[in-house]
Amino acid sequence: MELSGGCQCGAVRYRATAIQDNAHICHCRMCQKASGNYFAPLVGVAMADFRWTRGAPGTFRSSEPVERGFCRDCGTPLYYRNVQGGHISIMLGSLDEPARVPPLRQYGNEARLPFFDDLPHLDGRSSRTEDDMGDLGVLIRRTTHQHPDHDTSIWPTKESHE
Amino acid sequence: MAQNAKAEVHTGGCQCGAVRFRLQGPLVHASICNCRMCQKAFGNFFAPFANAATEPVWTRGKPAIFRSSERAERGFCPQCGTPLTYRWGDEVTALAIGAFDHPNEIVPTIEFAHENRHPFLNHIADLKAEPLGLTDEERDILAILKSFQHPDRDTDTWPVNNGGEL
Repeated sequence: MELSGGCQCGAVRYRATAIQDNAHICHCRMCQKASGNYFAPLVGVAMADFRWTRGAPGTFRSSEPVERGFCRDCGTPLYYRNVQGGHISIMLGSLDEPARVPPLRQYGNEARLPFFDDLPHLDGRSSRTEDDMGDLGVLIRRTTHQHPDHDTSIWPTKESHE
Repeated sequence: MAQNAKAEVHTGGCQCGAVRFRLQGPLVHASICNCRMCQKAFGNFFAPFANAATEPVWTRGKPAIFRSSERAERGFCPQCGTPLTYRWGDEVTALAIGAFDHPNEIVPTIEFAHENRHPFLNHIADLKAEPLGLTDEERDILAILKSFQHPDRDTDTWPVNNGGEL
Protein backbone atom coordinates (compact mmCIF):
# COMPACT_ATOMS: atom_id res chain seq x y z
CA MET A 1 0.00 0.00 0.00
CA GLU A 2 1.58 3.29 -1.11
CA LEU A 3 0.72 6.15 1.21
CA SER A 4 1.68 9.81 1.45
CA GLY A 5 1.11 12.34 4.15
CA GLY A 6 2.53 15.29 6.03
CA CYS A 7 1.86 18.16 8.37
CA GLN A 8 -0.82 20.82 8.12
CA CYS A 9 1.33 23.50 6.51
CA GLY A 10 3.16 21.09 4.16
CA ALA A 11 6.73 21.90 5.24
CA VAL A 12 7.20 18.22 6.12
CA ARG A 13 5.99 15.45 3.79
CA TYR A 14 6.57 11.70 3.80
CA ARG A 15 5.88 8.61 1.75
CA ALA A 16 5.43 4.97 2.78
CA THR A 17 5.52 2.07 0.35
CA ALA A 18 4.13 -0.50 2.81
CA ILE A 19 2.56 -0.47 6.25
CA GLN A 20 2.52 -3.01 9.05
CA ASP A 21 -0.62 -4.85 10.09
CA ASN A 22 -0.83 -3.00 13.40
CA ALA A 23 -2.93 0.13 12.93
CA HIS A 24 -4.11 1.11 16.39
CA ILE A 25 -4.98 3.92 18.71
CA CYS A 26 -3.06 4.39 21.96
CA HIS A 27 -4.76 5.95 24.99
CA CYS A 28 -1.69 6.17 27.21
CA ARG A 29 -1.13 9.52 28.89
CA MET A 30 2.10 10.03 26.95
CA CYS A 31 0.28 9.74 23.62
CA GLN A 32 -2.63 11.84 24.90
CA LYS A 33 -0.49 14.72 25.98
CA ALA A 34 1.89 14.56 23.00
CA SER A 35 -1.09 14.85 20.68
CA GLY A 36 -3.29 17.16 22.78
CA ASN A 37 -5.99 14.61 22.22
CA TYR A 38 -7.76 11.58 23.69
CA PHE A 39 -5.46 9.09 21.97
CA ALA A 40 -2.81 8.84 19.26
CA PRO A 41 -3.74 6.87 16.12
CA LEU A 42 -0.68 5.09 14.74
CA VAL A 43 0.52 2.56 12.17
CA GLY A 44 4.02 1.11 11.89
CA VAL A 45 6.13 1.50 8.75
CA ALA A 46 9.48 -0.30 8.38
CA MET A 47 12.24 2.29 8.00
CA ALA A 48 13.17 0.63 4.72
CA ASP A 49 9.67 1.43 3.42
CA PHE A 50 9.62 5.03 4.63
CA ARG A 51 11.19 8.29 3.51
CA TRP A 52 10.79 12.00 4.10
CA THR A 53 9.98 13.66 0.78
CA ARG A 54 10.07 17.28 1.96
CA GLY A 55 11.67 18.88 4.99
CA ALA A 56 12.49 17.15 8.24
CA PRO A 57 10.52 16.99 11.49
CA GLY A 58 11.49 18.41 14.84
CA THR A 59 11.87 15.76 17.52
CA PHE A 60 11.14 15.42 21.20
CA ARG A 61 12.57 12.52 23.19
CA SER A 62 9.51 11.78 25.31
CA SER A 63 11.30 9.01 27.21
CA GLU A 64 14.61 7.20 26.94
CA PRO A 65 13.46 4.73 24.29
CA VAL A 66 10.94 6.93 22.47
CA GLU A 67 11.21 9.88 20.09
CA ARG A 68 8.23 11.85 18.78
CA GLY A 69 8.35 13.91 15.61
CA PHE A 70 6.41 17.05 14.71
CA CYS A 71 6.49 19.90 12.22
CA ARG A 72 8.49 22.82 13.58
CA ASP A 73 6.52 25.28 11.43
CA CYS A 74 2.94 24.27 12.27
CA GLY A 75 3.20 21.74 15.12
CA THR A 76 1.41 18.75 13.58
CA PRO A 77 2.36 15.58 15.48
CA LEU A 78 3.81 13.20 12.88
CA TYR A 79 5.25 10.08 14.45
CA TYR A 80 6.19 7.91 17.42
CA ARG A 81 9.39 5.90 17.21
CA ASN A 82 11.29 3.52 19.45
CA VAL A 83 14.78 4.76 18.64
CA GLN A 84 16.17 1.23 18.79
CA GLY A 85 13.42 -0.29 16.67
CA GLY A 86 13.39 -0.74 12.92
CA HIS A 87 10.16 1.07 12.24
CA ILE A 88 8.45 4.41 12.60
CA SER A 89 4.80 4.76 13.68
CA ILE A 90 3.07 7.53 11.82
CA MET A 91 0.07 9.51 13.02
CA LEU A 92 -2.91 8.30 10.99
CA GLY A 93 -4.52 11.73 10.78
CA SER A 94 -1.43 13.06 8.99
CA LEU A 95 -2.03 10.69 6.09
CA ASP A 96 -3.44 12.33 2.97
CA GLU A 97 -6.19 9.69 2.98
CA PRO A 98 -6.67 8.68 6.60
CA ALA A 99 -9.77 6.61 5.83
CA ARG A 100 -7.56 4.08 4.02
CA VAL A 101 -6.01 2.87 7.29
CA PRO A 102 -8.64 2.01 9.88
CA PRO A 103 -7.31 1.23 13.37
CA LEU A 104 -7.76 -2.39 14.46
CA ARG A 105 -6.84 -2.31 18.14
CA GLN A 106 -6.57 0.02 21.08
CA TYR A 107 -3.70 0.10 23.55
CA GLY A 108 -3.07 1.89 26.82
CA ASN A 109 -6.63 1.26 27.94
CA GLU A 110 -5.66 2.04 31.53
CA ALA A 111 -5.75 5.71 30.54
CA ARG A 112 -8.81 5.50 28.27
CA LEU A 113 -11.00 8.50 28.97
CA PRO A 114 -14.39 7.73 30.50
CA PHE A 115 -16.43 9.32 27.70
CA PHE A 116 -14.48 7.65 24.88
CA ASP A 117 -17.20 5.10 24.14
CA ASP A 118 -19.78 7.89 23.95
CA LEU A 119 -18.01 9.85 21.22
CA PRO A 120 -20.03 8.30 18.37
CA HIS A 121 -23.21 9.31 20.20
CA LEU A 122 -22.64 13.00 20.82
CA ASP A 123 -25.92 14.88 20.71
CA GLY A 124 -27.06 14.77 17.09
CA ARG A 125 -28.95 18.03 17.44
CA SER A 126 -25.71 19.80 18.16
CA SER A 127 -23.84 18.06 15.37
CA ARG A 128 -22.97 20.63 12.74
CA THR A 129 -21.42 20.22 9.31
CA GLU A 130 -19.08 22.70 7.71
CA ASP A 131 -21.98 23.81 5.52
CA ASP A 132 -23.87 24.87 8.65
CA MET A 133 -21.02 27.20 9.46
CA GLY A 134 -22.13 29.65 6.79
CA ASP A 135 -19.75 32.51 6.07
CA LEU A 136 -17.17 31.13 8.46
CA GLY A 137 -16.92 27.85 6.55
CA VAL A 138 -16.69 29.69 3.27
CA LEU A 139 -13.94 31.97 4.56
CA ILE A 140 -11.93 29.03 5.89
CA ARG A 141 -12.19 27.18 2.57
CA ARG A 142 -11.26 30.28 0.61
CA THR A 143 -8.24 31.24 2.69
CA THR A 144 -6.89 27.94 3.96
CA HIS A 145 -3.11 27.69 4.43
CA GLN A 146 -3.35 23.95 4.82
CA HIS A 147 -1.31 21.89 2.39
CA PRO A 148 -3.52 19.87 -0.01
CA ASP A 149 -3.93 16.14 0.63
CA HIS A 150 -1.45 15.10 -2.03
CA ASP A 151 2.20 15.67 -2.88
CA THR A 152 3.08 18.97 -4.56
CA SER A 153 6.17 19.86 -6.55
CA ILE A 154 6.75 23.20 -4.85
CA TRP A 155 6.14 24.59 -1.39
CA PRO A 156 4.71 26.92 -0.28
CA THR A 157 2.16 26.42 -2.98
CA LYS A 158 -0.71 28.59 -4.16
CA GLU A 159 -2.67 25.39 -4.30
CA SER A 160 -2.82 25.38 -0.54
CA HIS A 161 -5.52 27.99 -0.99
CA GLU A 162 -7.83 25.45 -2.60
CA MET B 1 -18.44 20.72 39.05
CA ALA B 2 -20.64 22.50 41.54
CA GLN B 3 -17.84 24.34 43.27
CA ASN B 4 -17.61 28.08 43.51
CA ALA B 5 -17.32 29.00 39.83
CA LYS B 6 -14.67 31.62 40.50
CA ALA B 7 -12.55 29.06 42.28
CA GLU B 8 -12.65 26.68 39.34
CA VAL B 9 -9.23 26.45 37.74
CA HIS B 10 -7.99 24.26 34.91
CA THR B 11 -4.30 23.83 34.17
CA GLY B 12 -2.43 22.07 31.42
CA GLY B 13 0.37 22.28 28.92
CA CYS B 14 2.43 20.53 26.32
CA GLN B 15 4.14 17.17 26.67
CA CYS B 16 7.59 18.54 27.54
CA GLY B 17 6.28 21.29 29.85
CA ALA B 18 7.90 24.27 28.12
CA VAL B 19 4.42 25.78 27.63
CA ARG B 20 1.86 25.77 30.45
CA PHE B 21 -1.55 27.42 30.76
CA ARG B 22 -4.13 28.21 33.41
CA LEU B 23 -7.84 28.80 32.85
CA GLN B 24 -9.89 30.63 35.47
CA GLY B 25 -13.59 29.91 35.81
CA PRO B 26 -15.87 27.21 34.46
CA LEU B 27 -15.51 25.82 30.95
CA VAL B 28 -18.28 27.09 28.70
CA HIS B 29 -17.55 24.96 25.64
CA ALA B 30 -16.20 21.47 24.92
CA SER B 31 -16.37 19.91 21.46
CA ILE B 32 -14.70 17.71 18.92
CA CYS B 33 -14.21 18.83 15.32
CA ASN B 34 -13.82 16.34 12.46
CA CYS B 35 -12.97 18.88 9.77
CA ARG B 36 -9.92 18.11 7.63
CA MET B 37 -8.13 21.18 8.97
CA CYS B 38 -8.41 19.95 12.56
CA GLN B 39 -7.59 16.37 11.54
CA LYS B 40 -4.38 17.34 9.82
CA ALA B 41 -3.34 19.91 12.41
CA PHE B 42 -3.58 17.19 15.07
CA GLY B 43 -2.46 14.26 12.90
CA ASN B 44 -5.57 12.63 14.28
CA PHE B 45 -9.19 11.72 13.57
CA PHE B 46 -10.55 14.88 15.19
CA ALA B 47 -9.50 17.76 17.42
CA PRO B 48 -11.05 18.21 20.90
CA PHE B 49 -11.24 21.77 22.21
CA ALA B 50 -12.54 23.47 25.34
CA ASN B 51 -12.60 27.07 26.50
CA ALA B 52 -13.61 29.19 29.45
CA ALA B 53 -15.24 32.62 29.03
CA THR B 54 -11.84 34.28 29.39
CA GLU B 55 -8.45 33.92 27.76
CA PRO B 56 -5.99 31.40 29.16
CA VAL B 57 -3.06 32.73 31.17
CA TRP B 58 0.29 31.40 29.95
CA THR B 59 2.14 30.48 33.13
CA ARG B 60 5.27 29.20 31.39
CA GLY B 61 6.44 29.93 27.85
CA LYS B 62 4.04 30.65 24.99
CA PRO B 63 2.85 28.58 22.06
CA ALA B 64 4.22 29.09 18.56
CA ILE B 65 1.49 30.04 16.07
CA PHE B 66 0.53 28.71 12.65
CA ARG B 67 -2.04 30.75 10.74
CA SER B 68 -4.07 27.90 9.23
CA SER B 69 -6.47 30.23 7.39
CA GLU B 70 -7.09 33.95 7.16
CA ARG B 71 -8.69 34.30 10.55
CA ALA B 72 -7.68 31.10 12.32
CA GLU B 73 -4.56 30.65 14.44
CA ARG B 74 -3.33 27.37 15.85
CA GLY B 75 -0.80 27.28 18.67
CA PHE B 76 1.67 24.51 19.47
CA CYS B 77 4.75 23.95 21.61
CA PRO B 78 7.84 24.86 19.58
CA GLN B 79 9.92 22.38 21.63
CA CYS B 80 7.80 19.22 21.51
CA GLY B 81 5.01 19.96 19.01
CA THR B 82 1.96 19.33 21.20
CA PRO B 83 -1.06 21.06 19.57
CA LEU B 84 -2.40 23.51 22.14
CA THR B 85 -4.76 26.17 20.84
CA TYR B 86 -7.28 27.27 18.23
CA ARG B 87 -8.41 30.85 17.88
CA TRP B 88 -10.87 32.28 15.38
CA GLY B 89 -10.54 36.03 14.88
CA ASP B 90 -11.13 37.85 18.14
CA GLU B 91 -12.97 34.97 19.78
CA VAL B 92 -11.67 33.44 22.97
CA THR B 93 -8.82 30.97 22.61
CA ALA B 94 -9.80 27.30 22.81
CA LEU B 95 -7.40 24.71 24.23
CA ALA B 96 -6.75 21.13 23.18
CA ILE B 97 -8.53 18.92 25.71
CA GLY B 98 -5.79 16.28 25.71
CA ALA B 99 -3.33 18.94 26.86
CA PHE B 100 -5.27 19.66 30.06
CA ASP B 101 -3.83 18.07 33.19
CA HIS B 102 -7.16 16.37 33.87
CA PRO B 103 -8.83 15.72 30.52
CA ASN B 104 -11.20 13.17 32.04
CA GLU B 105 -13.07 16.09 33.66
CA ILE B 106 -13.89 17.65 30.30
CA VAL B 107 -16.67 15.89 28.46
CA PRO B 108 -17.35 17.15 24.92
CA THR B 109 -20.99 17.86 24.15
CA ILE B 110 -20.77 19.19 20.60
CA GLU B 111 -19.49 17.63 17.40
CA PHE B 112 -18.49 19.78 14.43
CA ALA B 113 -18.08 18.69 10.79
CA HIS B 114 -20.07 15.52 11.36
CA GLU B 115 -20.03 14.81 7.62
CA ASN B 116 -16.25 14.41 7.68
CA ARG B 117 -16.18 11.86 10.49
CA HIS B 118 -13.40 9.36 10.10
CA PRO B 119 -15.18 6.01 9.52
CA PHE B 120 -13.45 4.63 12.60
CA LEU B 121 -15.45 6.88 14.89
CA ASN B 122 -18.62 4.92 14.28
CA HIS B 123 -16.91 1.67 15.32
CA ILE B 124 -15.08 2.70 18.45
CA ALA B 125 -16.74 0.00 20.51
CA ASP B 126 -15.57 -2.72 18.08
CA LEU B 127 -11.86 -2.11 18.57
CA LYS B 128 -10.03 -4.91 20.31
CA ALA B 129 -8.71 -3.57 23.62
CA GLU B 130 -5.13 -4.51 24.47
CA PRO B 131 -3.25 -3.53 27.62
CA LEU B 132 -0.27 -1.24 27.17
CA GLY B 133 2.18 -3.98 28.07
CA LEU B 134 1.18 -7.26 26.44
CA THR B 135 3.95 -9.46 27.78
CA ASP B 136 5.84 -9.67 31.07
CA GLU B 137 8.88 -8.31 29.26
CA GLU B 138 6.95 -5.28 28.00
CA ARG B 139 5.54 -4.64 31.44
CA ASP B 140 9.06 -4.77 32.89
CA ILE B 141 10.17 -2.20 30.34
CA LEU B 142 7.24 0.05 31.24
CA ALA B 143 8.05 -0.26 34.92
CA ILE B 144 11.54 1.18 34.46
CA LEU B 145 10.74 3.56 31.64
CA LYS B 146 12.06 7.02 32.38
CA SER B 147 9.56 9.52 31.09
CA PHE B 148 10.54 13.03 30.01
CA GLN B 149 6.90 14.10 29.94
CA HIS B 150 5.97 16.99 32.20
CA PRO B 151 3.79 15.84 35.13
CA ASP B 152 0.06 16.61 35.04
CA ARG B 153 0.35 19.55 37.43
CA ASP B 154 2.12 22.90 37.62
CA THR B 155 5.77 22.81 38.67
CA ASP B 156 8.01 25.56 40.07
CA THR B 157 10.94 24.88 37.76
CA TRP B 158 11.43 23.53 34.28
CA PRO B 159 12.87 21.29 33.02
CA VAL B 160 11.85 18.98 35.84
CA ASN B 161 13.42 15.65 36.49
CA ASN B 162 10.13 13.93 37.18
CA GLY B 163 11.16 10.53 35.82
CA GLY B 164 8.70 7.76 35.25
CA GLU B 165 5.29 9.41 35.46
CA LEU B 166 3.53 7.68 32.62
